[in-house]
Amino acid sequence: MTKSHRTLFYDRHVALGANMIEFEEWEMPLYYRLGIVEEHLATRREAGLFDVSHMGRFLFRGKNTIPFLQHVLSNDASSLNINHSQYTIIPNAVGGAIDDAYLYRFSDDKYLLVVNASNREKDWKHFKGIIKDFNKVEIIDQSEDIAMLALQGPISEHILTSIINSGSLPEQKRNALSNAKINGYDVQIARTGYTGEPICFELFTKRENGPMLWDILLKNGAIPVGLGARDTLRLEAGLPLYGHELGIDQEGKEIPIFSCPLSKFAVSFSSLKDNFIGKKALAKQYSSIENLPRTIMSVAVLGKGIAREGCKVFKKEKYVGFITSGTMVPYMKNNIKRLHAICLGLLDSNLKIGDILNIDVRGRRIDGVIVSCFMPKRKRGKHVSR
Amino acid sequence: MFPDELKYTKTHEWAKMEENTDVVIVGITDHAVKQLGDIAFLELPEAGNKIKKDSPFGAIESIKAVFDLTSPVTGEVIETNQQITDNLELLNTDPYEQGWMIKIKIENKNEFESLMNASVYEGFLNEKGEEH
Repeated sequence: MTKSHRTLFYDRHVALGANMIEFEEWEMPLYYRLGIVEEHLATRREAGLFDVSHMGRFLFRGKNTIPFLQHVLSNDASSLNINHSQYTIIPNAVGGAIDDAYLYRFSDDKYLLVVNASNREKDWKHFKGIIKDFNKVEIIDQSEDIAMLALQGPISEHILTSIINSGSLPEQKRNALSNAKINGYDVQIARTGYTGEPICFELFTKRENGPMLWDILLKNGAIPVGLGARDTLRLEAGLPLYGHELGIDQEGKEIPIFSCPLSKFAVSFSSLKDNFIGKKALAKQYSSIENLPRTIMSVAVLGKGIAREGCKVFKKEKYVGFITSGTMVPYMKNNIKRLHAICLGLLDSNLKIGDILNIDVRGRRIDGVIVSCFMPKRKRGKHVSR
Repeated sequence: MFPDELKYTKTHEWAKMEENTDVVIVGITDHAVKQLGDIAFLELPEAGNKIKKDSPFGAIESIKAVFDLTSPVTGEVIETNQQITDNLELLNTDPYEQGWMIKIKIENKNEFESLMNASVYEGFLNEKGEEH
């Protein structure tokens, strides 16, 4: 058995009574004492604190950093100003995803790429294999040197404002970054996240300052949230997870990057961006829907039961694809907490919003309907009453 | 900790013989409920279904995963608890009374008699706990 890793917050998770699980070779909290449902709701109504230090963090620097990033990433890294970040994909030559990632530019000459924990080694090898053809660009694995936390939800901005000593929050738009001091320590702040919350932050600080940051955020009202609710929150927001909506599908086929609707924000065909890995295949995917037999769609389950990854989907009696992720999420109705089942599926591209589907759940057929999204649209800054 | 009048399985179901009948009531223990975390869905068989000892008779789902419910005895389902499928909270608040799941008309009383009693089940849990 491979040795499992622990983040620097491991002792804190245990002290908070977390139910720890093995996730991609990491010992991580699945949920704390409140449980998945309450942690989900706490993030939507207040502020959830997530240990995301298991993710990979690669620093790129040197004169040829931009040409290198332009070559290995799908988005236009040259358009990234200081104090901005962008969603991006690490494409392969056939237009599939090696990983999806976030690129942060906190200073003039350094770029930080955050990748999925499960792909950290694979991505590293991929970059190392290509970087040798580039002069004057350096890649450094800082995963162990930097602590990374996510603070998500309506009151997260109040919490941060109340604990910042100097510097400021990033300007009020998604993907903006800033540098600030908390308790006298440098913290880099990004308006990014994986929950669909309009008010959202990810925080980076030196490893040794991590516990201080964790403690001060909890003390000021953040609620610790485990991987269980991280998954229900991202699913409710319709966000893809590598290995489910990106990568290799369960039939063993490469999922075309553009099958994922969010990919249009992560792929650039800008003239500033020369040739890059997978460009030709991606341009073909982009040019015509016929090149994308299946697309990731959101499906609300109408019948009783939970559609899980792997469930086959039918329209009338025709097989139209399969579920890639599925769960139940809580919602409030007349002040009563209820659960409803939602899922994402890789489904025939000609299906439309409103189409009724049958999902095979352990031999039983339950109805579902294709929807545009699961969450009602909320405006940034409009606080949900507590 | 576990009611003395009930019998138990290694898969954390409890079983109770209705007095002067050949009907066994089946549910899951509060240990199982706690292990599941947030319970999201319960799938029970319909009355009339034949079920077998040690085979799944239904499924219970938490937010994260699906678990089989395993029958402690062989027989025919004569009633299912309609109350709990719409009110899963009963499994947390009252797993041994209102949280019952199915009633089974059994064929062989020995199957019931050979199940674990409360103290053996508790011992089984402790033993399992030590292994972890």
